[in-house]
Amino acid sequence: MAGPRVALFVTCLVDLLRPSVGFASVKLLAEAGCDVDVPEAQTCCGQPNWNAGDRAGAAEMARRVIETFEPYDHVVLPSGSCAATIVKDYPAMFAPEDPWRARAEALAERTHEITSFLADVMGVAPARRALRASVTYHDSCSGLRSLGIAEQPRRLLAAIGGLELREMQDADVCCGFGGTFCVKYPEVSGAMAADKTECIAATGADLVLAGDLGCLMNMAGKARREGRAFKARHVVEVLAGTTHVPPIGDSK
Amino acid sequence: MSGRETILARVRAAARQRTEDDAEREDRVAGRIIRHEPGLVPRQGASSGHGRLTQFLNKLDQASASVGRISSLAELPRVIARELRKRGLPAEVRMGAEPMFRSLDWSVLKASIGPGRPVEPVTLSRAEFGMAETGTLVLCSGLDNPVTLTFLGETHFVVLRRSDIMAGFEDMWAAFRARGLDPRTVNMVTGPSRSADIGQQLQLGAHGPMALHVFLID
Amino acid sequence: MSAGATSAEFRANSRAALADANLQAALRGSRGGFVQKRAKARAALPEFDALRDEATALKNHTLAHLDHYLEAFEAQVVASGGQVHWAETAADARAAVLEICDRVGARTVTKGKSMISEECGINEALTAANITPVETDLGEYIIQLRGETPSHIIAPAVHVTVPEIETAFRAAHAGLDPARDLSRPEAMLKEARAVLREAYFAADVGITGANMLVAETGQTVIVTNEGNGDLTQSLPRVHIVIASIEKVVPTLEDAATLLRVLARSATGQEMSVYTTFSRGPRRAEDLDGPDEFHVILLDNGRSALLGTEFEDMLRCIRCGACMNHCPVYQAVGGHAYGWVYPGPIGAVLTPALTGVEQGGALANASTFCGRCEAVCPVRIPLPRMMRSWREKEFEKRLTPRGMRRGLGLWLWLSRRPKAWRFATRTAARVLHRMGRGSGALKRLPFGADWTATRDFPAPEGRTFMEQWKAMKR
Repeated sequence: MAGPRVALFVTCLVDLLRPSVGFASVKLLAEAGCDVDVPEAQTCCGQPNWNAGDRAGAAEMARRVIETFEPYDHVVLPSGSCAATIVKDYPAMFAPEDPWRARAEALAERTHEITSFLADVMGVAPARRALRASVTYHDSCSGLRSLGIAEQPRRLLAAIGGLELREMQDADVCCGFGGTFCVKYPEVSGAMAADKTECIAATGADLVLAGDLGCLMNMAGKARREGRAFKARHVVEVLAGTTHVPPIGDSK
Repeated sequence: MSGRETILARVRAAARQRTEDDAEREDRVAGRIIRHEPGLVPRQGASSGHGRLTQFLNKLDQASASVGRISSLAELPRVIARELRKRGLPAEVRMGAEPMFRSLDWSVLKASIGPGRPVEPVTLSRAEFGMAETGTLVLCSGLDNPVTLTFLGETHFVVLRRSDIMAGFEDMWAAFRARGLDPRTVNMVTGPSRSADIGQQLQLGAHGPMALHVFLID
Repeated sequence: MSAGATSAEFRANSRAALADANLQAALRGSRGGFVQKRAKARAALPEFDALRDEATALKNHTLAHLDHYLEAFEAQVVASGGQVHWAETAADARAAVLEICDRVGARTVTKGKSMISEECGINEALTAANITPVETDLGEYIIQLRGETPSHIIAPAVHVTVPEIETAFRAAHAGLDPARDLSRPEAMLKEARAVLREAYFAADVGITGANMLVAETGQTVIVTNEGNGDLTQSLPRVHIVIASIEKVVPTLEDAATLLRVLARSATGQEMSVYTTFSRGPRRAEDLDGPDEFHVILLDNGRSALLGTEFEDMLRCIRCGACMNHCPVYQAVGGHAYGWVYPGPIGAVLTPALTGVEQGGALANASTFCGRCEAVCPVRIPLPRMMRSWREKEFEKRLTPRGMRRGLGLWLWLSRRPKAWRFATRTAARVLHRMGRGSGALKRLPFGADWTATRDFPAPEGRTFMEQWKAMKR
């Protein structure tokens, strides 16, 4: 029996900055038995415009995404924040009587962040992999509070042999990225990032993992500026065993 | 238009947007006030029997209040005198014209009647109710129970009958209504006064009492 | 009263706050305390989240019937011998207070903690009329001595360190022995207690706010831990309550529902120490209590929020949980918000009450992390409303031009996948090369705001989409 047809929405940050997260996602989805496709017409989910108050622009981008992705059984994203835009915000962009509302709601129901898709929807036991490392997991805000993602990535990580998870203090507190916030109020954003890297460093873990590249860019960039010892990776890199790629913001 | 009419007109205009019938809304308001139905009562606010007393005493303790139990009201002056000696306080107490206290023999200490003055080492009040839900005392102001005594005493003594310990807000308000009470102030007191405004360190006795002691009459 | 508001300068304010070592020390000292206490209180009450739903429904019901509840409340106050004054604006509220003070010849006014009083600028108005306002909440007293405004709605002096308080007390209490030991917080508390006790007895009028107004009984309700609000209302001849219209609740049972979530959300207490229900002036036989009881009902822009996307904000019970859990507030403190209400509620209320031109900057001072909404006892969708203010800004073309252009370009590209691919391919290559094999950039063209405080991880070099396409071929 063929697996579900799954469209990977790779997200603009992963596409541009860290394609290896996209390949790790494809690998995990294929291993879970999905028939993976990456629609070529995909660009951005529209979150920057929506959060900046450009309702019309965001709705236009949403309509494109809906058209592109509605033929699939599921839409999966390696980002809690972009997934939350589709799941929570798209329906709110259209008036109840607008035919796009129903289409947005239908897509929202079939859209998932990748760790919750693997753990909750596919429910497959992850492939046996090992990584001798201590890691700490940062709960990205949108994934955590909009989609309730907290236990799924930890459950998947628990299956990695040799991996030690060391919880940090305030794992659920924002790292200070916040989309355009980080350039609107860079000083506050920088202070929040510094608090986060302090919490990460206090665990003594080798790696900080998270499910959103925006947060990871922020934490990795701050850690590098501060000369911290820990490295940063997207959680799917560890799950898919693609850690031969240098960590985020690193050359080796 | 007066401020009153302007404000109410704006509120009404917003209500009309909901296309609701105004008379219906008015009825709903009157009904809710008359019925004053309880909302969700947590288990913590629904204790009974001996468990209620135990919970009340525990909650008082959590709120940093102390308790002394006495078997009859007549003992009160002597018990207060003893408590004052134990605390190293002078044998003086300020109280209201509470009928419950008037008949007692106060010869063992200096008891004066009246509202609170700027310096009051020890004051005595009577609580109308206790609430086991949170270890709260409910005091009603009046001739017998001047409100200032609750706040000006450095040490505040409160007398409460065991039978007046209610489970929580709902049965307390029901009993309050049943007794036909209508004081100027109802004071719910949960422990002695406190503040954390200096350096986020909790200190007792900010403006009100530094110590709250309950005499529970069994 | 938005005169003197500096909300529009949030960025400059926040920079100054981050550079203020004393403030940062005070914020670090308090951080986490409120969060842990609330979490503990929530864990101890299995029904807590269900009570939040009840509280939310209760406030929604009251707002939908606000006119009738206000009228019912007014009728009860009058029946108990009190007076109700309706104030459409902050100026009306100030006028009502001054008129009462003038009539009774007031020279000193003691004040319980009230954010509405701050909103209306009551202290400034009293001072201008040669009446001395004395703040009696310990935190409010400290900041009054320092000539400041509250930086938190329930812990107004949370930004002040202990040595700073000692300095303020020595300056203000000049009549006391200069050699006295004030190094310990206990000594300072004792001193404030003695000084303020004189003020209570000297005052002609006492002004308090109200956490609730009970329509059933005409009672005003205050919730405090110190007892200052009670001495403020019991000792002077006149008690003035100043409260905004959305504070009304139907019944005593409804008040209980809110009390069950209020203190737990605010300080983690099950009950604050003092919850006081006040009805009318003192009774004929009473030995104490005020001769006159006045309630000033303030609108000041609130009724205009009813029926709009900001109506939910009127459910707020001012517990402060949102700011206690807000990482932005915790980084910069309350004063950076530039007006009366800081933190997430300030980010929604300030544009609502002072205009989006003034307050819009605050609606942008959020990462939308959602922690505020997650802890709100009346489930106010604060991030959603901040986003609504950003929409108003966008509609009014108040969004900075650079941002507007950027969003316009983003939208334009998003509709043209080919142009998008070309742009991302180019950017990935250029930025990768700029990283010079080190994996990150120390400086980013057009991105100095990012690289001022952190490096920018360099792209891997080729975009995912171009690699995918090549693989599929």
